[in-house]
Amino acid sequence: MAKEEPTVIRKDYWSMPYEDLFRTLGTGEGGLSEGEAQRRLEAYGHNELPGRAFSRFQVLLRQFKNPIFVILIACAIIAGFFEQIVQSVAILSMIALSVILGFYNEYRAEKIVEDLRQAVSYKAVVIRDGKPSEINSSLIVPGDLVSVYVGDIVPADIRIVDSKNLQVDEATFTGESFPAEKNSDVVDLQKPTLQQLCNCLFMGTVVVHGSGRGAVISTGKNTKLGSISRSLTRSHPETEFQVGVRKYGNMLLTLTLGLAIGIFSLNAAVGHPLIDSLLFSLAVAIGLVPELMPAIVTISLSQGARNMSKRRVIVKRLVSIEDFGNIDVLCTDKTGTMTEGKIFLKGTWSLAGDEDPKILHYSLLCTHAAVVGEKVTGNPMDIAIWEHAMGRNEQESVKSYTSVDEIPFDYQRRMMSTIVSKDGRYILITKGAPESVLPRCGHIEVKGRSEAFNDHMELVKEKFADLSRAGYRTLAVAYRRTDAKGSYSVEDESDLTFLGLLIFTDPPKGDAHEAIARLKEIGVDIKILTGDNELVASEICEEIKVPVKKVVLSSDLSKMSSIEIRAAVEEATIFARITPEQKLDIIKALKENEHVVGFMGDGVNDAPALYEADVGISVDSAVDVSKDAADIVLLEKDLLVLANGIDEGRKIFGNTTKYILMGTSSNFGNMFSAAFASVFLPFLPMLPMQILFMNLLYDIANMTLPTDNVDEEYTKWPRHWDIGFVRKYTLFFGPFSSLYDFLTYGIMLFIFAAPPALFQSGWFVESFWTEVLVMFVIRTRRIPFLTSHPGKWLTALTLSCVAFGTIMPFTLLGSFLGFTALPLDYWALLILMVVTYLFLVDAGKVFFYRICKF
Amino acid sequence: MAYPELFPWWAMTISWGIVFLVAVSTYLYIGSRKRRGRKDNKIGEEMLNLMRDYVFVWVLLGLLILYIVSIGNGSSVLFAAGNVIIEIILFIYTIKNRTRKQQPS
Repeated sequence: MAKEEPTVIRKDYWSMPYEDLFRTLGTGEGGLSEGEAQRRLEAYGHNELPGRAFSRFQVLLRQFKNPIFVILIACAIIAGFFEQIVQSVAILSMIALSVILGFYNEYRAEKIVEDLRQAVSYKAVVIRDGKPSEINSSLIVPGDLVSVYVGDIVPADIRIVDSKNLQVDEATFTGESFPAEKNSDVVDLQKPTLQQLCNCLFMGTVVVHGSGRGAVISTGKNTKLGSISRSLTRSHPETEFQVGVRKYGNMLLTLTLGLAIGIFSLNAAVGHPLIDSLLFSLAVAIGLVPELMPAIVTISLSQGARNMSKRRVIVKRLVSIEDFGNIDVLCTDKTGTMTEGKIFLKGTWSLAGDEDPKILHYSLLCTHAAVVGEKVTGNPMDIAIWEHAMGRNEQESVKSYTSVDEIPFDYQRRMMSTIVSKDGRYILITKGAPESVLPRCGHIEVKGRSEAFNDHMELVKEKFADLSRAGYRTLAVAYRRTDAKGSYSVEDESDLTFLGLLIFTDPPKGDAHEAIARLKEIGVDIKILTGDNELVASEICEEIKVPVKKVVLSSDLSKMSSIEIRAAVEEATIFARITPEQKLDIIKALKENEHVVGFMGDGVNDAPALYEADVGISVDSAVDVSKDAADIVLLEKDLLVLANGIDEGRKIFGNTTKYILMGTSSNFGNMFSAAFASVFLPFLPMLPMQILFMNLLYDIANMTLPTDNVDEEYTKWPRHWDIGFVRKYTLFFGPFSSLYDFLTYGIMLFIFAAPPALFQSGWFVESFWTEVLVMFVIRTRRIPFLTSHPGKWLTALTLSCVAFGTIMPFTLLGSFLGFTALPLDYWALLILMVVTYLFLVDAGKVFFYRICKF
Repeated sequence: MAYPELFPWWAMTISWGIVFLVAVSTYLYIGSRKRRGRKDNKIGEEMLNLMRDYVFVWVLLGLLILYIVSIGNGSSVLFAAGNVIIEIILFIYTIKNRTRKQQPS
C-alpha cells in the first residue's frame, strides 16, 4: 500500500516568482479593486468553511436509526389492531420518551459546540485599491493581498510575498509544537509536503512571531482546512455499539417471527380456534420484544452525558458513550495530551558540563519578550527563557544592565544580538541557531576561562547533533566585549566567545504518568501517533513510563501492505513522523483487528481520523473542524478526564447489557413455555391481555435499571458487544425460566386441579416473580445482596412491582383481566419454588461464567 | 390426580427441558475446554474435573427426579423438603465455586 504524500495546494503557486503569481491571480502590489473583490466574492462565495450544518431535523432523525424501533412500532400497531390500546399507547410512549430524551441531549451538546464556534469570528487586514483596510475575514477573496501580524489567525490560504521574521504555529496541521519559519522564497519542489511549503500560510494557523504579506490563493472550502472539513460531510461510520444493537435487533426479529409463526401453526394444528391462536401468538411475540430497550439505553446515555458534563466532558453523539466505555486502544498525539503543548526551557549546556547561570543571564539580555508583571509575551522561545528564569527567580540579574543597541534577527543570519552595558563595560550578546553562531566563535568559556574554540568545536558540534537527534530544539549563546559606538552591525558579530546551548522541549504533563497508569489499569492500550520524530516521542514515553514495544516510522508504514499494517498496529506503541492519511490507515487497521478505537486530536489534520475512529475525542480549544468531527469534546485536554469518562461509559454499557441479558433470557423462557403449554393444554395458559399486562408491569419494574450500581470489576476492563455471548446466554438461562414455568403448570394441574382462571393466575404470579426477581441475580456476577448491592431505586421499584403483581389477582383490575384469588398453600409452594429458582440461576451463573467469558 | 391424561405430556416436557439444559451445558463446557486447549493426561483427573464442574448438572437431574416424583404423588411435603435440600446444596456450590473477582480472559 505504498502511497505518495499528497500535494497540499493544487496549483504550483509555491514555485512561482511574484510577477507570475500576481498575473495568475489577477492582482498586483496594490491588491484588488473593491469592484473586482465584490465580483470575486459573488463568483467564489464567502470565505467560510462548509462545516456540518447543525440541523434540528437531522438530530431528530438520527434518534430513529434503531432497528428495535421498527419491531416496536409493528408491535404497537398490532396491539392497537387487536384493541390492546393500553399496550399500544405504552409502547408508543416509550418510543416517544426515547426519542425526546435522545434529541434533547444531542441537541444541547450540538448547541454548546455551535456556540463555541460562533464565538470565534475574526477580522483581517487586506489591501484593496492600494489602501489597507480591516474587513471581516469571510469577505476575503482569491487574489486579495492580506497582511498578517503576531497573534493573527491566518484567514485564508496565502502565498507570502514579503515577510519579516515570520513564524507560524502550524501545530493544528502538523502536530509540531515548535513554530514554523515562513518566508517569501520560491519553493522549487514538484510535490512539496505541508511542512516544506515555507512560503505559504494556511487558513486557521496562528502567527506567533513577525509579520508578513501575501496573496490569497484559495478561500473557504477550497483551502486546505476546507478540504478536510468537506471530507467530514459523509455519514458517520457505525459505532461498535450500533453494530451490536443492529445484530441484536436482527436476532430478535428472527426469534420473534419464528416463534410467532411456530405457535400459531401448532395451535391451529391441534385444533385451537384460529383467531385465538393468532391473538395468542402475537401476544407472545410482543412479550418477547424488549420494548423498553430504547428507553433504557437512552435514559442511561442521557444520565451518563449529564454525569460526564459534570466532569467537563461534553458528549455530542449519545450513542458514542457506550463505545467510549469500551475503548481498548486510545490513539493520541503527544502534543498537548502527553505534553504541555508549550515550549519550555529544559536547561542549558556548557562545556564544563554543569549548568552555567551566565548562559541564562545572557540569553535573558538577548530576547524580544515583553514582560509585564508575571505575564510574558513574544516569541515562544523567548517566553520560555523568561519563564524559566522567573521560575528560579533569576530575572532580577539582568536589571543592572543597560540596553544599548540591537542587531535584529533575520533569516539569513538566523540569530540576533543585543548590546548591553554595565559599569562602563559594553557586551555584545548573540543568540541564535547553533549552525549560524558556532562559525562566528573564536573562543569558548570553560569555567570562567577563555580557551580557543577550535580545540573544542567538534565536541560542541557533537553535542548539538545529539540534542537535535533526540528532538530538542537548541539555541547557541555567545558574547564578546565591545566598545561604545554609535551603531552596531552584523560585522560586529564575529570572534565571539561561545557560552553554551539553551535546550528547549515540550515537556510531559505533570499528571500524564498518573493518567497513563490509570488508563493501563482499566485496560486501555495507548498508541502515540505523532508528526514529530521518533526520538522525541520515545523520550516522552520514557518520562511518563509508557512502555514502548516498537516504533514505526511513516516511511516504514508507507511501504507496508494492509495486512502488514494490521500486524504493525498490534505491535507498535509509537508511530512517528506520520501524515494525517496514515493516521487514518492506522485507525482503520485497528478497527479491522476488532479493537474499539478512541482517537484524541485537536488539529485540522486530525479531523478525518476523529471521524473514522469509533470514538472521536477533541478538546474545547481545538479547531472547529476537529470539534465538528468529534463525538466527545473535553473541556480540559487531560487524560485523567478521559479515564473518568471511560469509567462512566462502562457503567452505562453494564446496565444496558443487564437489560438485554435479562430480557432475552427470562422473556424468552417465559414465552417459550407459554408456546409449549398452549399446544398440550386444553385452554390458553395465559390470555393475550394477561401476557401484555405482565409485559407492561415488567417494563415498569425495569425503568430504574439505568440507575443501578455496577460492580467495580465490571468497569476494570473494556467489554465488547458479543452477539454470540448473548445467544449463548439466552440458550442457557432461557430454559431455567421455562423449567419453572413447566413446574408451575404441574403444581397447578396435578396438585391444585386448577381450572383455567386459577391456572392463569398461578402462572401469572410465578412468571412475574421469577421474571422480575431474577434481575437481582443476573445484574451481578457476585453474590446478590451480600457482596453486590443493587441500586436503591431499582430495589424499591422492583419490590413495589412484585407486591403489585402479587395482589393483582385479588383486585378488581385482576378480575377484569380474568384472574382469580390463589389458595394459601400455593403461596407457600411458590415461595419455595422461586427461592430454588433464584439459587439455581445463581449456581448456573457460576457455572456459565466459568466456561463463557465476557 | 386431576388431568391424569396430561401428566405424561407434562413429565415429558419438563424432562425435555432439563435434557435440553444439560445438553446446552455440555455443549458450552466442551466448547470452553476446546477453546482453552485444556488436556488432562490422567483419566482419573479428567473424571474428577468432570464431576466437579458438573455438580450443577447433577443438581439439575436431581431436581428433575424430585419434581416428577413429588408432583406425580401430589406430595407438597416431599416437594417442599426436596426444595430446601436442593437450596442448601446450591448455596454451598455457589459459595465454594465463585471466584472473588471474575475478569475477562
